[in-house]
Amino acid sequence: MTLLEYFTSRLGMTVVAAPAVAVLGLGGLSLVGWPPSERIISRVIQSAVILGLISALAVLGVMLGFGLTHVPVEVGDWVHIPHYHFHIKFLYDRLSVPFVILTFLLCGTVGAFAARYMHREPGFTRFHLCYAIFVLGMVVTSLAGTIETLFMGWELVGLSSALLVAFFHERAAPPRNGLRVWIVYRVSDAALLLAAIAMHHLHGHGDFDELLGANSWPDGVSHLTDWQTLVVGGLLLLAAAGKSALVPFSSWLPRAMEGPTPSSAVFYGALSVHLGAFLLLRFSPLLDASPLLRVAVVSVGLVTAVFAAIAVRVQTDIKSDLSFASLIQVALIVVEIGLGLRYLALVHILGHGCFRTLQFLRAPSLLQDYRTLENALGEKPATRPAGARDWIYRFALERGYLDAILTEYIARPVVRLFEACDRWERAYGRWLSKGGQPPSQPESNSLLED
Amino acid sequence: MSRLENLRAAIIKATDLLPAQGPITAFVFDNTLRGLEDLPFHQALKRGSELFGCQPYLSIERFIEKLRNGRITEADLSAVLADDLGESADEPILGLCTRRELRFAMLKHPLKEAPAAELRWFIAEADAMRKFLPDVPPQAQEAALQDTRDWVADNGPEKVLNGKSLESLGAYKKRTGTAALTELRLKCLWELCRRMVEATSQQTQRPKFVRHRDAVKAVTLEDSDLLVNEILIRFSAAFVDQGLAEWVLPHREDGFLSAFIKIYGRPGGPPSPWTHGLVEELDRIAFHQLGALDSIALSLDALGVSEEETSEFITATLLALRGWAGLLWQNETRSDRVPIPVPKDTLIEFLAVRLVLERFALKHVSHEYLSFNDSLGDLREFCVNKLCSATATSTETTAANDTTAVTRSERDEARAFSLFQVAQFLGWPLGKLATLTAEEMRTLVTEVESFESLERRRIFHLAFERNYRQRALNAVSSQTKQRAQRVQGVKFQAVFCIDAREESFRRHLEETDSHVETFGAPGFFCLPIYYRGLGDAHFSTLCPIVLRPQHWVIEEPVYSMSDVEGRRATARRAIGSAGHSVSKGSRNMVRGAVITASLGVLASVPLVTRVLFPRLTAKIRRQAESLVKPVPVTRLRMERLDEKASSTETGFGFTLPEMANFGERILRDIGLVNGFARLVMFLGHGSVCQNNPHKSAYDCGACSGMAGMPNARALSAMLNDPRVREILATRGINIPPETHFLGGLHNTGDDTITFTDVDFLPRSHRPEFEAAKDILDEACLRNSHERCRRFYSAPLTLTPQEAHLHVEDRTEDLAQVRPEFGNSTNAMCYVGRRSRVSGLYMDRRCFMHSYDHTTDDADATILGRILGAVVFVCAGINLQYLFSYVDSPGWGSGTKLPHNITSLLGVMDGAASDLRTGLPWQGVEIHEPVRLLFVIESTPENLTKIMDRNAVVGRLIRNEWVQLTVLNPESNELMHFKQGNWVRFEPDAKELPVVERSSDWYRGQREHLGFATIKSPAAPS
Repeated sequence: MTLLEYFTSRLGMTVVAAPAVAVLGLGGLSLVGWPPSERIISRVIQSAVILGLISALAVLGVMLGFGLTHVPVEVGDWVHIPHYHFHIKFLYDRLSVPFVILTFLLCGTVGAFAARYMHREPGFTRFHLCYAIFVLGMVVTSLAGTIETLFMGWELVGLSSALLVAFFHERAAPPRNGLRVWIVYRVSDAALLLAAIAMHHLHGHGDFDELLGANSWPDGVSHLTDWQTLVVGGLLLLAAAGKSALVPFSSWLPRAMEGPTPSSAVFYGALSVHLGAFLLLRFSPLLDASPLLRVAVVSVGLVTAVFAAIAVRVQTDIKSDLSFASLIQVALIVVEIGLGLRYLALVHILGHGCFRTLQFLRAPSLLQDYRTLENALGEKPATRPAGARDWIYRFALERGYLDAILTEYIARPVVRLFEACDRWERAYGRWLSKGGQPPSQPESNSLLED
Repeated sequence: MSRLENLRAAIIKATDLLPAQGPITAFVFDNTLRGLEDLPFHQALKRGSELFGCQPYLSIERFIEKLRNGRITEADLSAVLADDLGESADEPILGLCTRRELRFAMLKHPLKEAPAAELRWFIAEADAMRKFLPDVPPQAQEAALQDTRDWVADNGPEKVLNGKSLESLGAYKKRTGTAALTELRLKCLWELCRRMVEATSQQTQRPKFVRHRDAVKAVTLEDSDLLVNEILIRFSAAFVDQGLAEWVLPHREDGFLSAFIKIYGRPGGPPSPWTHGLVEELDRIAFHQLGALDSIALSLDALGVSEEETSEFITATLLALRGWAGLLWQNETRSDRVPIPVPKDTLIEFLAVRLVLERFALKHVSHEYLSFNDSLGDLREFCVNKLCSATATSTETTAANDTTAVTRSERDEARAFSLFQVAQFLGWPLGKLATLTAEEMRTLVTEVESFESLERRRIFHLAFERNYRQRALNAVSSQTKQRAQRVQGVKFQAVFCIDAREESFRRHLEETDSHVETFGAPGFFCLPIYYRGLGDAHFSTLCPIVLRPQHWVIEEPVYSMSDVEGRRATARRAIGSAGHSVSKGSRNMVRGAVITASLGVLASVPLVTRVLFPRLTAKIRRQAESLVKPVPVTRLRMERLDEKASSTETGFGFTLPEMANFGERILRDIGLVNGFARLVMFLGHGSVCQNNPHKSAYDCGACSGMAGMPNARALSAMLNDPRVREILATRGINIPPETHFLGGLHNTGDDTITFTDVDFLPRSHRPEFEAAKDILDEACLRNSHERCRRFYSAPLTLTPQEAHLHVEDRTEDLAQVRPEFGNSTNAMCYVGRRSRVSGLYMDRRCFMHSYDHTTDDADATILGRILGAVVFVCAGINLQYLFSYVDSPGWGSGTKLPHNITSLLGVMDGAASDLRTGLPWQGVEIHEPVRLLFVIESTPENLTKIMDRNAVVGRLIRNEWVQLTVLNPESNELMHFKQGNWVRFEPDAKELPVVERSSDWYRGQREHLGFATIKSPAAPS
């Protein structure tokens, strides 16, 4: 190992280690019942983000300075048995480095915002712990060099995201909506997990370098056959659709606006909502191998973009408005990926992330902004009578009926099936214990019972 | 009256209870329970808490905390108890104790009250059957043990006990230690308590439900309102939207019901099973051309709501989504306050739609979870039967829904445990308890149970109010030994808003220079106007919500600046439309893609700088804006051309006599009719902050959530007019020619003062003006210093300069949710001459209105008109804070962190919720919920006359929504108005602490502070 390699791999490890230490520190202290003070919590997160950012910039500097476009950082195998290994590896390339820098930049800024915004909130520690988990998850996902590493980060993001949607758990709506988000995420996680298993099964590796060749992103070449590509790609598309709220999963996105404003900003304006697109970008060489997959990606993107563009026109609250506006762009990014415009997609993600975060953070300023605007124009800005028929208006107002469709056609049959299983099991149990005595009831539950 | 008219009347009556909040951009402070003001305060609270499902008082735990940290003392508790019980306080209860002792013990020691399962856990955890409760003092424990020894010696236990308790007697006889004795005592006591409770056990009452939804929810835990509200919230938001959505709701102009039918009444909706049949139902309404009231009547019939319960049912149904219902009602009735009002009868149509949806939701939920398929009219009865049978069959659990049922024996256990605790606190002898007759048992149990949790909280609340009242009245009585006298050698006079925030400002101003005289008046200075500033698109309403202005005032550039202003306006318009198209475009597909993909990354620059360096960014932004903002040299259009005032070009302004009337009104109100200084300032107030939908709650309450500068400016312009002064002279107010009036604004956010029309200040007055500015600047520094003590994020060691920077930072920070605390600390209102209480440190807790009784007539006409406005406005502010604090998510709008602006009119929680009205938690956090204590310098006779004259004032005072005390104008005697009688206040404290300067008193303190005398106002600078 040359000195340069040694140096970059240390730096590369620091990028991941900084948020990991923050999570362990904050989580550990809270776990043993010594929640640190507000000041210490925000210092810890800020230092982790700054350290991570500096290291990431340093890696970028080394890569630019030495003309490297592909720097793997090996951590090693977590599990290694004859037919299976769980390989942890990080990858610095033209996709992951910009993405991880964007992550640190936005998380740092929004973290500084949240430290003041959440001041004296009873859930201050909880919020910031989830936030630290999210940062770690984003960093791991962006830098992942194997699909199992990516899955780890993906899960952390999903977990923190659902917990922050349900942050205000003293009201009923946030946990309810958090649960919805969580369920969609689980479906998406399952798809990703299946994709990972399929990759291991078909190819023996979860390593991107093995799968897509050692060429640096975006010039990888798929080593899978046609139908293998279609299976793995299809699963990845499903995973991406869940995570990025593409049709038919879109209805969770506006429902996720239950958390405090800064978490909405960074999750659904900027980072987490782009993860699906990021996943497709990471595996974009697969698209070259399967035109059918390409068509699928483009159509999912287009349908979502058109749907969101209709829905956004009737939203009457700022957060739903912004979430559908985000969705349009995310869907367009997916279309770009499908069309093979990978650099454009990357730039689009970066630009859209920054822009939308600012809009989300300033969402509470809407009334003041609107007044300023009215004063400048000298009149109310024009609104349009619905340029569409009543049914389109209703379709938009009810968000494409996607909630009801998923509930009726997917959730309900599944629940019915499980209920039926439950009945069968009970019946079987009764049949087995026929003639036995029912378990006796406790006789008394007086206060005096010791 | 016909049935439909009755229905309409019932709906209109119910609207009294709906939140009176209109657009949030003009936040109106109002009594949250305005609709119940006809009831005495405590009764209204009880009724209100039942209707709204909110907490009427703080929780017992919060009160106990206050008892521990001295905000309530035991003296307060016993005084209030004595007051509340009157004659019956000292009645003995079975010779065990007096009623007052019993109640006092129940207040002092918090009773653990919880469902049986939690109690069991508590008993195991605290080992409560073996050890005395931790609250029982050692001596009392000793006495109790002695009592037990005597009783055992007397063979008492054997006579009455059985089972477990006897076992512990055996154990005691074997071991004879204190531990065994304690266990014996507690087990016997528990046995006796169980016995007493069982002797008085009552049958469960059949629960009664007004709404079907509540009945279904009680049985199934499923909430049918979730289904209804989801549709109704979206549709109502679209219906009232002021321009947030790009598409306007189709058929909006046809009214709520009709638009709903046209949009939801067509086939092809979502596949939700619960809306199955909705299309046909809506078709039916359309086909038969049913009106909203007809439809409501049909729905009521279908739901089996009888004629007698109609009113109650309608009220409860409207309150189910009260924020939205209230907003629709406000937009309907105060169409002058929104750009796009809603048509008449919208609320009735809203109710009609709601009831139709409710029927479908109930049918679905009751079918799905209760397999109930009969007529909805029987649904409530069905649920009640189900509940009662679940309770009757005690422990047998068959279905999951039984978790809600509480069995009788469980309830009795919980009751016995309360008794058990009280008996321990009061050390009741076992021998006595064991020999009670059934009648006596009932007496004792009733005595304990009649002082239930709500009653205890009421007493605590009264004690809490008494604590502040005693301190305040002691302080006032001590301070007002000083004689009233006008300031001698006055440098300038300044009139501030009555606002409690100005108390500290005025104090600091007077401390900075003792030759400054200050006055207080409502921040619109009794000049109600519609005002359009230069560069404003619309008129704003600058007066309390109850008034409708009759005058329009506009601001114009001076003639020579008109061209410049024209160019700037064009530039502003260009920048505005550019910004608008970026903002709109970013929500659009193609333009959004172009904008975000090309320029998006640039957004990181403002993002990072605005969050990390708020003050610097604000400075740069202001520099840039100054190039295009409206020109600074402007005038108000004061003199009217037309006969009649109107909002047209020639209808702006006033006539001379009108100006004189307004001028005279304010001067007489504050008692400034002679002794004018060369410079007199009217300073309105407003607050600047960022990223805050509730910004206008920090602005002037007397201007309906706007800043009062235009009023101050217009008033000064009137009083500077020599022709107005001539008229005033004929009415006995001689303003000397050398007196000049100036209007200005006190920004309560960053503590700065700006003046208007300084270009027209006579040259001769400039030195005085500059000296005055220096004094005001110093007062600003000191005031921000005092404010910073309450901000936890501001260190206590700040210097005044640093404090001023800190408050500036707060107002520019996007992430700051507490730019200031508004009137959070309000508790008191003083109406009288400033000099009576000058130098009294009141901790920003006192509204102050100037009033000089020597300038009033025998009927107290001036005081009457002052109180007519002040009692209403200040009580509104105080009660809004009180309710928003006591139950923040219930009466207030909860934490503002997840707030989401909707329809440009209000905020929801998160993705969708009822419209949140009231104040957010961050704005009331440091409030102490006490009713406003008025101290008025006048006589009881005058006040009685005024209460008789003015119905609103009389109602608020007599029903005890505010507390009232009058201060004798000639001495420091105080008379307190108590349940219709005037009672002399007897001071019970020593002299007030004396300090040199305010900062000596508050330095290093975070919490509420007591009163103090500021010894000597600083030497004139």
